[in-house]
Amino acid sequence: MSKRVLIVDDAVVMRMMIKGILSKNGFDVVGEAQNGVEAVDKYRTLQPDLVTMDMVMPEMDGITAVKQIIGQDPNARIIMCTSMGQQALVVEAIQAGAKSFITKPFQPPKILETISKVLS
Amino acid sequence: MSDDLFDRSEFVAYFRDETEDLLQEIDANLLQLEDFVSSERADPEIVNALFRGLHTIKGSAGMLQFGSIANLAHKLENLCDLLRKERMPLSEGCVDILFLGRDVLKDLVDAAIAGREGDTAGLDQVVERLDRFVAVYEETSAVIDGDLGPTHRFEEEAQEEIRAAGNAEIEAFEAEVARMLAAAQAARRDEPPAECAVRAEPVRAAEPEVAAAANGVEKPAGEQKHRANTHQTIRVDIERLDTLLNLVGELVINRTRISDIAETLDRSFGRKNGAADGSAGVLVPLAKDLAESSALLARTTSEIQESIMKVRMVPIGQVFDRFPRVLRDIAKARHKEVELRISGADTDLDKTIVDEVGEPLMHLLRNCVDHGIELPEVRERIGKPRHGTVALNAYHEGNQIIIEVTDDGSGVDLERVRARAIKQGLISADDRLSDREIVELIFTPGFSTAEVISDVSGRGVGMDVVKKNITRLKGVFDVNTEAGVGTRFTIKLPLTLAIIQALLVRVADELYAIPLDSVIESQRVEMSEMRTVHGNEVITLRGQVVPLVRIAEVFELGGGRDPEKAMIVVVGLQGRQVGLVVDAFQGEQEIVIKPLSDVVGRIPGISGATILGNGAISLIIDVHSLVSEANVNGRVARAEYSGV
Repeated sequence: MSKRVLIVDDAVVMRMMIKGILSKNGFDVVGEAQNGVEAVDKYRTLQPDLVTMDMVMPEMDGITAVKQIIGQDPNARIIMCTSMGQQALVVEAIQAGAKSFITKPFQPPKILETISKVLS
Repeated sequence: MSDDLFDRSEFVAYFRDETEDLLQEIDANLLQLEDFVSSERADPEIVNALFRGLHTIKGSAGMLQFGSIANLAHKLENLCDLLRKERMPLSEGCVDILFLGRDVLKDLVDAAIAGREGDTAGLDQVVERLDRFVAVYEETSAVIDGDLGPTHRFEEEAQEEIRAAGNAEIEAFEAEVARMLAAAQAARRDEPPAECAVRAEPVRAAEPEVAAAANGVEKPAGEQKHRANTHQTIRVDIERLDTLLNLVGELVINRTRISDIAETLDRSFGRKNGAADGSAGVLVPLAKDLAESSALLARTTSEIQESIMKVRMVPIGQVFDRFPRVLRDIAKARHKEVELRISGADTDLDKTIVDEVGEPLMHLLRNCVDHGIELPEVRERIGKPRHGTVALNAYHEGNQIIIEVTDDGSGVDLERVRARAIKQGLISADDRLSDREIVELIFTPGFSTAEVISDVSGRGVGMDVVKKNITRLKGVFDVNTEAGVGTRFTIKLPLTLAIIQALLVRVADELYAIPLDSVIESQRVEMSEMRTVHGNEVITLRGQVVPLVRIAEVFELGGGRDPEKAMIVVVGLQGRQVGLVVDAFQGEQEIVIKPLSDVVGRIPGISGATILGNGAISLIIDVHSLVSEANVNGRVARAEYSGV
């Protein structure tokens, strides 16, 4: 059965792209969220196998969302989508329970590789 | 592999829409930010919103390989980061450079979307200014960061070439993160109790203020509503809506036709003849059924029509959004202090009209600042507040939307306008003009009161174009001005352009439709009430001289004049009236406007056509062009007649 993914990003373009890459590669994108609050809600209702999480978002940022999701489900598998220059935040997110991270702008193979590592 | 896995062009439209919204938001945030310059400290929420917007643009542009956009967005984001961390005071220079950067960013985005990604005019200059501006504060930051020194150097290198942000840099970044993680884990092993605390109380660790303190990107609750709303909407191609509207138009025509048939049947069999005629026996209940069904059909059709109209309605605020910025720039350039007050931004009207009304409004606002509002010193001297106010107000009134642009400036100087018009040969020195007619001179093509031509307005192209645009939208444009107090421009626009109420008239066996909103009255006039002045027929209605226009003669339909009487429809635009002479009145009807095809071309005096319920075609009279033409001839006539 294909893995169910929740994509969290406030940028439509990013969501569309990640969704495109994942759908073409056998993943089932079950939901999208455009901020941390929605991410936490949708994680609870959708119970996805994997979350891609943007860092900088309105209302609730990615790190706070990671903390809340891990609070609900300590086994949640979350991959951070980060930009260069945010190393301190990446470290914080991983300490909060995120499993890995990818750096924007990324190429499709990179995200697929990161996901398969996290899922294995 | 790599690029082949996704097609960039597929995402460019999303990028365009999203980035346009974000740039608009950034503009609005910058305007707010500017208010904090005097205190040197920015509202953190505004700076955070700016930071996030730029960050999103950078991320998306990076994915689409729009390197120059990502690079500039990144630099602007850095500047906001310095503000956010209070490592740079908020200054006028800082806001100016952010505005400039935002504008160049918009140019880059427009160019990239148009497929001219290499078009980076202005980029080098703004980047250089940004770098110079930021350099001194970044050095300070490096000192403050201290142990993060190497990180910081890395970041600077990364900025330089995000476009070529090849794997090397990303790998370096990821290696850096790995190193930091390892260091953090090593440190953690030395303090096992801390780790336990985190594990044991995960929820506590997730409290928002912890995160807020960590990266400060919380958003106020007030904006949640806005976000939630945008989430509920979908974007639809306007062409699809137009197709739907056109189909509804056809439906309305057919409905009217069925109503007509039902009425005829009802007249023939329903009431008068009844069951008296044997052959009509079957038809009586059928006629009744048809009348009922047709009434139901009529109701449903109007509901569909209304709904589709509502779908096309958008808040006029979409247009207003860009005005504060424009006004700020003009005011600054003219050394004037101007406050823009906007109300009624949520007033809805048809999308087509919203798109068209932006330019004329923009020109009016510019005009208010350029010609209306006085310099601050002048205003103080005459006891007005230093800063002038330009108010933009929109509201619904009946089937129309009213947009008012009001300034508290000097008003239109009638004497000066008159003098100027004489000098430019638009009127002669002994023309007797009412105040209204003098004010209207400012809409004459080529007219300008500006002594020095500025780059804002005053080129003499403008007010006439404004008026033309409004008229094309079937709108009415009015000016009220009072010397020393200010000027108010009032624009009345129909909510939609597609379906109108019309008065049908017959002229020489042809049916014409006159838009009902411009009809003042219709009546029968005896020949004895008419006068001829300079070859123009006029009548006097309640003391007002009204020039007459014979439709049959304008459209060269032939047919003689009735020697005894005339049926006239008095139409008015902006307080000027004209009597249209027709043969007979045929009642009111809702009509769907169909533009005349290009084959027919533009016919003076005709604005479109419609198909009536019985399938007949009726031309729609362009009241505006008839009124203004009659007015040119009529002004002289009226002046002479009143003098008689």
